[in-house]
Amino acid sequence: MKYSILIATLLSVSTLFSADVVQTTDAIVIQQTNAELAKVKAQLALAEQENQIVTQELAQREEELAAAASASDAAKEEVLKENKTIHISVVGQGVAPMNTYSPAQAYALAKRAAIADAYRAIAEKVKGVRIDGQDTIKNMMVQRSTIRTYVQAMVKNADIVETTFKEGLCEVEMEILISHSDFAQ
Amino acid sequence: MRSRNGNFNFSLRLCTIILFNSLALSASEYLISYKYVVKDATLYNETLLVSKAMTKCEGNPQEEFILQNNSEENLKKLISKNPEEFLEYIHKLGLHVNHDEKTINLQNSYTTILTLKTTCFKVDFNDNFATIAPLK
Repeated sequence: MKYSILIATLLSVSTLFSADVVQTTDAIVIQQTNAELAKVKAQLALAEQENQIVTQELAQREEELAAAASASDAAKEEVLKENKTIHISVVGQGVAPMNTYSPAQAYALAKRAAIADAYRAIAEKVKGVRIDGQDTIKNMMVQRSTIRTYVQAMVKNADIVETTFKEGLCEVEMEILISHSDFAQ
Repeated sequence: MRSRNGNFNFSLRLCTIILFNSLALSASEYLISYKYVVKDATLYNETLLVSKAMTKCEGNPQEEFILQNNSEENLKKLISKNPEEFLEYIHKLGLHVNHDEKTINLQNSYTTILTLKTTCFKVDFNDNFATIAPLK
């Protein structure tokens, strides 16, 4: 009988201890989950802040782009208004004729042709090209296709930057600085 | 009867008149035109016409150009001695560009004409150099 009572008391004590352990483990788990939740909340708050910063940056960039676009438009107007210069660079090509007396003559003639081509290129860039086109079609077939282009301009103060002559082809690199006052004349 | 000072002034005036007249005698006016034609990337024709002006030109001298001279008073001969420099100068003055391009059935051909319209130039001949300037 004594032993049975002792065993019973021991069992009850052991159950009590085990309940305490369970309680302590539950408390730790809850604390951990709370800490994780707090971390997640903190991360969410950070992410929201980052989102806000990104949206602000995007808005700023859009504003900057709009400002840059308006500034470039203004700059284009300024070029014409404030006599700022525009730099134009072209390359003209010329070929030496077949019946030349010497390589020197061939070079001189090819260079002249290349200069004319460069002048034409400058005139095209600055003043533009007039284009006419005509196609003749007969029985659903193109009989004749014609394209005509015209350029008329006055070019002055063009500078030759570089001249190369290779295998009968002369290339002249030419540049010109243009300001509004040149057009006003 | 003139005083000594009066004679001095008179001789000074005479000297200045002779000096200016002698300088003016060496200056003359020329009409120059230049044209060259390029066909399909090949120089086809080039013309430089120089003639003495028969009437007085109007205008002020513009950008001037200096050519080396050996007591020559003929502009044509002077230019023929330094043609490249002179043509470069003419290009700088400005040329009219006339470009006509045709593409018929995908075959391309073109003609480019560069022209300096007839312009009056004032030319001063000196012993070692000659100064050329267009009048505008």
